[in-house]
Amino acid sequence: MSSVITAPSHAAFERTTTKWGSITLFIGFLIATSVPFYLLFVADADIDVGTIITGFLAVFAVYGVFWIVEPLTYFPILGPAGMYQAFLIGNISNKLLPSAIVAQDTIGAKPGTRKGEYAATMAICGAAIIHVASMVLFVGILGTWLLTLIPEPITLVAKLYILPAILGGVTVQLIASLRQVKSTLIALGIAALIILVLIPLVPVLAPGDVAIVVLLTIAITWFTRKKSITDRRGDAGENVGIN
Amino acid sequence: MMLTSGSADYIGLANTPILWILASAVMGVVVVQSLIYMSAVRKNAESAGMSQQEVRAAFRAGGVAAIGPSLSVVLVAIALLPLFGTPPVVVRVGLIGSAATEVASASIAAGTMGANLGDETFTRGVFIVALMAMSLSGAGWMICTLVLTPIFKRSSHKLEKVNPALMSIIPGAALLAAFAALTFRELPKSPTHVVAVVASAITMTICLFLAQRLKLPWLKEWGLGISLLVGLVAAYFAHYAGLGVPEA
Repeated sequence: MSSVITAPSHAAFERTTTKWGSITLFIGFLIATSVPFYLLFVADADIDVGTIITGFLAVFAVYGVFWIVEPLTYFPILGPAGMYQAFLIGNISNKLLPSAIVAQDTIGAKPGTRKGEYAATMAICGAAIIHVASMVLFVGILGTWLLTLIPEPITLVAKLYILPAILGGVTVQLIASLRQVKSTLIALGIAALIILVLIPLVPVLAPGDVAIVVLLTIAITWFTRKKSITDRRGDAGENVGIN
Repeated sequence: MMLTSGSADYIGLANTPILWILASAVMGVVVVQSLIYMSAVRKNAESAGMSQQEVRAAFRAGGVAAIGPSLSVVLVAIALLPLFGTPPVVVRVGLIGSAATEVASASIAAGTMGANLGDETFTRGVFIVALMAMSLSGAGWMICTLVLTPIFKRSSHKLEKVNPALMSIIPGAALLAAFAALTFRELPKSPTHVVAVVASAITMTICLFLAQRLKLPWLKEWGLGISLLVGLVAAYFAHYAGLGVPEA
C-alpha cells in the first residue's frame, strides 16, 4: 500500500479525492449552515426554537426522503469521488451530470471505466469553475443591476422551463454517446411505465420515482445481459458498450 | 409574483459584510475542491490510459457544457435577489440545492408561520426561519452524502469482487435510467414542458448529426448550450401562446 503513493494509480486518486472531497464538503456544510445562525443571533427578530423546528419539519417532510434517495440514485453514476463534488455544488441533474456526459462524449470515454470516471471528474471541475464564475460575476457583483434590465417574462420562462430545456438535449446526447441500444430501450420503457403510469396511480411513490426507474433498469439490464461476453473479462474496460 | 414587494426591511440585514464574506468563502471552497480534484486526475490519469491532452479536453468540454445551464441558473437566482438578498442567494443556489428546491423550501417554511413569499407577511422573522429551514435541509443532504458515500463505496467494492461485470453495466444503465426518468417527469407538467423537451432533443440530434457529418467536434461541446437556448425560446412562445402551466 505505502509504496504506491507517488506512482500514478487509481488508489492514489481515490485516496486524495476521498480525503479532500469529504473535508471540503464538510467545510462547505459548516459555512453554509452558519449563515442563518448568524442572522438569528444578530437580528432581534424574536423567534423561538419551536417556530424554527416547525418550519424545518415541514420542509423535511417534503425533502427528507431525498437526503437518502438522491445519494443512492447518483452514486452508481458519479462514483465516490464525484459524490463529494456533486453534493457540494448541487445542480446535479441540470449542470454537473450533463457536463460529464458531454465530456465523455467528446473524448470517447464510457461511464463505468476509469477513463470515464476521470473525464467526468475533470468535466465537473470545469463546470464548477464556470458555476462559481457565473455566480460571483452575474449574481454577486452585477445581480442587483441586472435585475433591473431583464424583463420579467424572460425570467419567468427561464425559471419554469430551464429543466425540460436541458433534459431533452442531454438525454439525446447521452443515448448517442453510450450507444447501448438495449439499455436505452429498457430505460425509456421503464421510465415511461413508472412515471406516466405507476406514479399517477400510486402518488405516494413520487419522491422515489427516479430511484425506482434506476433500480429496475439496472436489474433488467443485468439479468438480460449476454453472460458469455460481459462476465469473462478481467478488465472492466471496454465491455461497457456491449449491452 | 414574488417580486412585488421590492426590498423589505430585512434586506439590509441579509446584505451585511459578514454574510458577503461567508458567501465568498463558500465559493472559495468549491474552487479549492476543484483544484485538488484536477491535480488528482492529472497525476493519476496515466494509470487509466488517459493522456494529458484528454484531461484538458474533458475539463474544457465540461466547462463549455456548463455555460448554458449556468446562465439559466443565474437568471433564476437574480430573480430571487429581492426576496433573500445577495449573499443568501449565492450560498443557497451556489451550493447544494437548486433555485427550484430553495424557493419551494422557503415557501413551505413560510407557510408554517402563515406567511407568503414576497408579500408583506414575509417579515424579518419569517425570512430567518425560512432561511434556517432551507439551510438545515441542505445540510441534511451534505451530511447524508458524507455518511453514505463510504458505505456505498464498500458495498460496490464487494459487488465488484463478486462479479466484475456489475460495475461495467451499472453506471451506464443508471445514467440512462436517471435521465429517461427525469425527462419523462417533465412531460405531464404542461404542454409547454413537452415543447421544451422536444425542441431541445431535436436541436441536439441535429447538432450531433452535423458534428459527426461535418467533423465539427466543438459542436458536441456547444450542443447543450444551443439546445437549451432553442428549448427556452420554443417554451417562451408556447408559454405566451397559452400552453403554459396554469398558475405561473
